[in-house]
Amino acid sequence: MITLTVNGKNVKVPEGTRLLDAIRCAGFEVPTLCDHPALEPWGGCRMCLVDVTRTEWDGWCKMVVSCMFPAEEGLLVLTDTERVRSTRRVVIDLLLARCPDTPLIQQMAAKHGLERTTYEPNPAPTDCILCGLCTRVCDHIGVSAISSVNRGAGREIAPPFHEAPPDCIGCLACAEICPTSCIPYETSDSRRSIWGKEFEMVRCARCGRAHITRDEAAHFSDRTGVPSAYFDLCDACKRTDMARQFVKLSEGAGTAP
Amino acid sequence: MDRIYRVVVERCIACGKCELACAFAHGSEGRPSKTRINIFKRGPELGTPVVCFQCHDAACAAVCPTEALVRNARTGAIDMARDRCISCRMCVAACPFGNMLWDETYHCVQKCDLCGGDPKCVPFCPTHALEYVPADRAAEKPEPFAWTGALAP
Amino acid sequence: MRIDSRARFEEAVAACRRAAEGRKIEVLVCCGTGCLANGSQAVAEAFQKEVEARNLPASVGLFTKKTGCHGFCERGPLVVIQPEGILYTKVKPEHAGEILEKAAEGGGAVSKLLYKDPATKKAVEKYGDVPFYKNQTRVAMRNIGKVDPADLDDALAHGAYAGLVQALFDLTPEKVIEEIERSGLRGRGGAGFQTARKWKAARKAKGERKFVLCNGDEGDPGAFKDRSIMEGDPHSVLEGMVIGAFAIGAHEGYIYVRDEYPLAVVHLTLAIEQARRRGLLGENILGTGFDFDVKISRGGGAFVCGESSALMRSIEGKTGEPRQKYVHATDRGVFDCPTVLNNVETWADVGAILHKGGDWFASMGTAKSKGTKAFSLVGKVKNTGLIELPMGTTLRHIIFDIGGGILGDRPFKAVQTGGPSGGCLPESHLDYPVDYEKLTEAGSMMGSGGMIVMDDRTCMVDVARYFLSFLMEESCGKCVPCREGLKQMKAIFDGLVAGRGVPGDIGRIERLAEGMQLGSLCELGKSAPNPVLSTLRYFRDEYMAHAEGKACPAGICRDLTAYEIIAEACNGCGSCARACPADAITGEKKALHVIHQGRCISCGACYTVCPTDAVRFFPKRELAAVQETGGAS
Repeated sequence: MITLTVNGKNVKVPEGTRLLDAIRCAGFEVPTLCDHPALEPWGGCRMCLVDVTRTEWDGWCKMVVSCMFPAEEGLLVLTDTERVRSTRRVVIDLLLARCPDTPLIQQMAAKHGLERTTYEPNPAPTDCILCGLCTRVCDHIGVSAISSVNRGAGREIAPPFHEAPPDCIGCLACAEICPTSCIPYETSDSRRSIWGKEFEMVRCARCGRAHITRDEAAHFSDRTGVPSAYFDLCDACKRTDMARQFVKLSEGAGTAP
Repeated sequence: MDRIYRVVVERCIACGKCELACAFAHGSEGRPSKTRINIFKRGPELGTPVVCFQCHDAACAAVCPTEALVRNARTGAIDMARDRCISCRMCVAACPFGNMLWDETYHCVQKCDLCGGDPKCVPFCPTHALEYVPADRAAEKPEPFAWTGALAP
Repeated sequence: MRIDSRARFEEAVAACRRAAEGRKIEVLVCCGTGCLANGSQAVAEAFQKEVEARNLPASVGLFTKKTGCHGFCERGPLVVIQPEGILYTKVKPEHAGEILEKAAEGGGAVSKLLYKDPATKKAVEKYGDVPFYKNQTRVAMRNIGKVDPADLDDALAHGAYAGLVQALFDLTPEKVIEEIERSGLRGRGGAGFQTARKWKAARKAKGERKFVLCNGDEGDPGAFKDRSIMEGDPHSVLEGMVIGAFAIGAHEGYIYVRDEYPLAVVHLTLAIEQARRRGLLGENILGTGFDFDVKISRGGGAFVCGESSALMRSIEGKTGEPRQKYVHATDRGVFDCPTVLNNVETWADVGAILHKGGDWFASMGTAKSKGTKAFSLVGKVKNTGLIELPMGTTLRHIIFDIGGGILGDRPFKAVQTGGPSGGCLPESHLDYPVDYEKLTEAGSMMGSGGMIVMDDRTCMVDVARYFLSFLMEESCGKCVPCREGLKQMKAIFDGLVAGRGVPGDIGRIERLAEGMQLGSLCELGKSAPNPVLSTLRYFRDEYMAHAEGKACPAGICRDLTAYEIIAEACNGCGSCARACPADAITGEKKALHVIHQGRCISCGACYTVCPTDAVRFFPKRELAAVQETGGAS
């Protein structure tokens, strides 16, 4: 265990903890946009910036992103200095210029004292804050169907060549994780589409519900080795089947299963 | 793990109290969709409770890409860490018994986690079809239920 | 063929030297990319043809050699005749014959092709007397212009791999690092990090596999020193890398070359093959049992891939995006292995340091910046080209003594050092020594050694805007402050140069600059405000003029500037009309010429060519007043 100080308060955390979690352990909060507990930290949004110093640094501080900086023994952390606040303000101001109509950004900007951006608002407003969560989750699942394309100001999230992504399995994890819900998709008991791809669905042999896409079934088969026939029944019908099995088993009670 | 959750199918009278208890335990409105135990009616006052088996070699935990499904050593259940769920629904497809359920409110999956070691459904079951018994007694054959008093046919 | 011992190495070098002696008269034709662009390939071929045609006996020893960049790019194609050391400039293929005649005669030179010093107005025969070369101390570029980069034997004859031999046979890895520490060598790519410190950390790091990398991405506009080293003396880079690998315990390396340097790739590839065949690279180097080999990795055309962590991702085949470097590359770098990344020039210095000793290198330079540094001197200076000088040389000496002063003898305004991460220094700083700390203190930085000289016909707001647009194009886009910040900063500058500036703009620029410096993920974003902040520091009045007065004091911003011909001064020579690209000037011979404002695009060509200073520029909004008082319309 290591001890560090956050805003004057001592906190003990296991070695290897990242600073953001140590700050939370100490009871303080720091804004984040691109961080997610399920994924590796990325350090792209820069909202979680904090000032750190050590006694031997004689007052010299450095600003680090707490989502990636490792908590260290004896570290002195300040989450709310003047320059931390002003830098976070610049960041959210820039994001508000990019995404003026996005509630999440508007709310975060308001918390930093901004009703309106001080920069040139985006003539073509978007909800995408380029946090990378969608591409990171897709990579994490092992599919990597989408990525960020183009450098700099032209950066955007897209499937290869802006065409229906051949690798996408239609799991919708990207749309689910998007903090501004800006990835459109359609899903129902009969069809699913996202990123311009219309998916072939697997229909439950019992109830006819389209419960997963063929690509998802193939992906699961590849990963787990189960034959594709495994997915002929949807989860609800599997449950019903299980219930029926129990009955059979209990009626034949006394015989070994 | 010192207790095991046991279902005695013959005793289930499909009253649905366990479903309600579970739903209330996981959200104050008691919405039916929030239950992690499901009763299948197979006749008048006859039901089969189906609930997560907390499988020894759990398919759901194996397939989860973010380690959101993890064995709790104390209760023996497979717990679900909601903040690590990315709603990919791989576990829903993987569970051979269809026991991974969807939580519309949090927009992620939900499953029985034995309420952290104090399963709320057990005290509500009037016929003791659901039991949370000491592990060394789990393999004992359950007593046939005595249909006495108010429940006598 | 393979050199597998020290003795064999010394024999091989002796043999190469003897062969070199047989070349009594060497015609060194510069075939660096600059001179090639000026047609030196044809010049080299012309020499070769002439030599063949003469059918001279071998005893004459006339030999043509294509070398790397000689450095005096302004005067190319360049040819040097050795051993006399005669420098010929602006050589054309048809000159080959007479040059060879004079060379074979053994005395005198073709005077019309010699360099004429504008200061003395006299022709200078010897290469060593030309001010551009006389004042240089070439360490990293020691052999460029002397050796044929495609010939390992020539390199060996000129001392290549002598440092490696010392390192492998006389020293241990720790002692090699000590020697580098003694030399005070700091990274020549821009950051100036202590090289020995980096190597020590990598040596200590745990890992089976370690890597040494060469950063040949050289993305700064106006910088071409690394190109010249890779093209002109690739073995100096290879030698340095083998020594570095030996020092840290690595057996694998990559040379990352930007895609836009095809000749560098060709010469490096040849050098690698030749070195491998001779046992200077690959398995069992020089018979010592030490293995090390390199691969070439080509860039994809992104400035950001010069950033160390982005470069490593690029080598791994991923998108070139930097990562937060809280874990140092010396612990986990390329392929998650301990890695040392150094610049081309740094590697080129290493071999010389091991050969001549760390103390020798440290005897040059300043207290904290030891050794020599290569600079690409470009812009409005008479002698543009590539030079290498001891650290501590003043900017004045570089620009005026070596550079020959400002083109057209116009007034000096500023010098930009350090590329897009650097800053502009004004006349008051001309006596600053070139030194890592001093330049940073002044608001600029050493950077990779690009030096862009500017005259009075430069608008500093426009210069800052140029760098912003470059960085905006090259930003990887991962972090908000850089991606969005550069876009917004550029938008403010677009407004300033187009007359849409407002007084509050300067404050907005400063606040945004601070946010970018503190918030950006990597140095691209963090140092992007440097050109802006340094020009604001030294040329604030120009910013105020743009923001408040809607005027461009330098007369460059076209939307803010109008040109007029002053009647009394015009002599009707017509130079302006001939120079005008928009056909906006009319006038009879010897009569007053007139600018038609409707057609004028404010390019200033007329201003530049007018011999009587009759063309003046004004803020556009004052044009009416000017026309009333004395202009002609």
